[in-house]
Amino acid sequence: MKAGENPFGDLLQDYIVESLPLAEQVGDAFVELERRWRAGDPGDQVLASVTGSLHTIKGNSAMMGLTPMRDVAHALEDLCGYLARAGASRGDEAAALLVTGGGLLVDLIGSASADTEPGAADQFMARVLGFLGVAPEASAAGPDRRQAERRTQPRAGDTEAASVVRVDFRRLDAMLEVLGEGIIQHSALAELYRRLLRRVGACEELGELDQTVLSLQKTLSRLESTLMETRLLPVSTVFGRFPRMVRDVAHAEGKRVRLEVTGGDTSLDKAVLDRLGEPLLHLLSNAVAHGLELPGDRVRAGKPAEGLLRLQAAAVSGRVAIRVSDDGRGLDQTAIRAKAEALGVDTRAADTAQLHQLVFVAGLSTADRVTTLAGRGMGLDVAANVIHALGGTIEVESRPGQGSAFTLSLPVTLAIVRSLIVEVDRERYAVPLSHVAETVRAEPETIRQINNQGVTQWRGDLIHVADAGAVLGTGKPCEAPRPFYVVMTAGARRRGLLVDRLIGHQDIVVKGLDPALGRPAVVSGTTILGDGRVACILDVVRILEGAAHGN
Amino acid sequence: MSESFLVIDDSKLLHQMYRLIFSQGDLAGSTIHYATNGREGYGLLAAHPDLTLVFLDLNMPEMNGLEVLARARAERLHSHVPIVLVTTESSEDDEARGLAVGAWDYLRKPFQPADIQRLVRRARELRRGRGAA
Repeated sequence: MKAGENPFGDLLQDYIVESLPLAEQVGDAFVELERRWRAGDPGDQVLASVTGSLHTIKGNSAMMGLTPMRDVAHALEDLCGYLARAGASRGDEAAALLVTGGGLLVDLIGSASADTEPGAADQFMARVLGFLGVAPEASAAGPDRRQAERRTQPRAGDTEAASVVRVDFRRLDAMLEVLGEGIIQHSALAELYRRLLRRVGACEELGELDQTVLSLQKTLSRLESTLMETRLLPVSTVFGRFPRMVRDVAHAEGKRVRLEVTGGDTSLDKAVLDRLGEPLLHLLSNAVAHGLELPGDRVRAGKPAEGLLRLQAAAVSGRVAIRVSDDGRGLDQTAIRAKAEALGVDTRAADTAQLHQLVFVAGLSTADRVTTLAGRGMGLDVAANVIHALGGTIEVESRPGQGSAFTLSLPVTLAIVRSLIVEVDRERYAVPLSHVAETVRAEPETIRQINNQGVTQWRGDLIHVADAGAVLGTGKPCEAPRPFYVVMTAGARRRGLLVDRLIGHQDIVVKGLDPALGRPAVVSGTTILGDGRVACILDVVRILEGAAHGN
Repeated sequence: MSESFLVIDDSKLLHQMYRLIFSQGDLAGSTIHYATNGREGYGLLAAHPDLTLVFLDLNMPEMNGLEVLARARAERLHSHVPIVLVTTESSEDDEARGLAVGAWDYLRKPFQPADIQRLVRRARELRRGRGAA
């Protein structure tokens, strides 16, 4: 029966929302089970933990008339029932069958529609029947279904209030757009108030207007934080697919890997999350393919045969930190140095940290097996670019023989960014406040020229100070020395940027760049200011990177 | 007179299916109480002595359907309220055990709206018969 003819066909989306997380949980459990079996652990609790979910998926799929999903869930239930019995052959073949079935179930449910092809499901059922047929006892006793009726663990989320409404995410985007207009209009109103005050001087009505503008701002910011909270999703929605992927790469590479995931309930804006999957996938497969050693090599090096891969997320001072770390061999400094030299980069003076940063340089990361998984395409430089485009940073630490760790720091939301507005050659620019360390009056005598670069003392360190006109390419000759500089930071990098005026702090609504215009190297987006002018948002990470690479 | 029903099932999807079924025909306007596990279901059953019919899923966390049924019957809790055991391709053993512990009938997933309507009609007849007696 097709879901279209099914009386509950309209509930397809609800079916996916409920069943997909269950299927992912089952898939993860099978990956874990395979790992335990290889380590000699029977994994009975893991096996028992999936029966309830499989049964629910089977029932839901049957109710929806989605036969392929029902059949796969049913076959897995039978397989688990058989494997739970003493004397069952819990070998690689059984494990592979479970993992394949779990993945198939996730794929089927994820792309569920009335016309789902039964081909893959039929093939899988045939494989399960074949397996149960040749396995001892199985054919005689038949699969034990009663096993599946016993549910052992309550599921998280069962007690959540029923007052939840599903909303199309595009509506939230539309609401954000409207809020953005409200914020722009508020800025216009505040600007108008200041002009009126200058013209007519203080009076009672203007005092009241000031109060009203102020409370409007408070209302808007309350609306903003509510809306932002609505847009947040736990990172587990992206992490969910990783265990199976890590397991697949580990298989292909002949590695043994345990993936440990923590902090899955950390929240991020959906817009950030949507673009985070690919870079994280890359970092994880990279760690499996190149970070972790083959089991034999690990044992010889005095480590457990099974490599440990950690994926951790946590909220850290208003941002979200995500860390991918392994206990493998660490970055190969000799190989990085050789590659860099081959590309004409002078690494003689580079210290370890600088050498590590080179893995993010295009050409170096994609060149060969130093840092990328053969055949996976995306280089570390591309992963780093995606993170930077999201307003994030990526750092690497590594110790030879002990492993590597990539740490991402990401903004919780993308859409509204508190920024410092500055003026350069009569144009206004926004610098995200998360990248502003300080604004300083530039006394001419404190800035020295060394190798044609301005250098100044800042908090006890020497930092470079660049002219904003030159960095932004405004093309205008610098008439008078610019009176201020903004100290920008990203990760460990810092640099001063000389500007004409500091306008003030403002919440700005990020608008994307027109893709047809290409992407200027130093600008990440645009915004509209209170007076209706368009301002470019500086891509601080890229500006600082450009400085580090000497252009 | 508004009728009330109790649905005990750990699947929110199933709740919505019941909601859909109970919004149609002469069932529209009836009150339905929902529980997502056996324990909660038992509590709701205890709190509502005047239910027309109870739909009790077999496979649930925190007291499965058979346990709820066994406890309700052992404590003689509203023994006049008919309880339907809902199963999914389960063995006939389970259904037989359910009936032995005191299920009024059983219903297999996948079911159709018509199956529910039929069960409700029978439950009403049962009620009328009892009222007349």
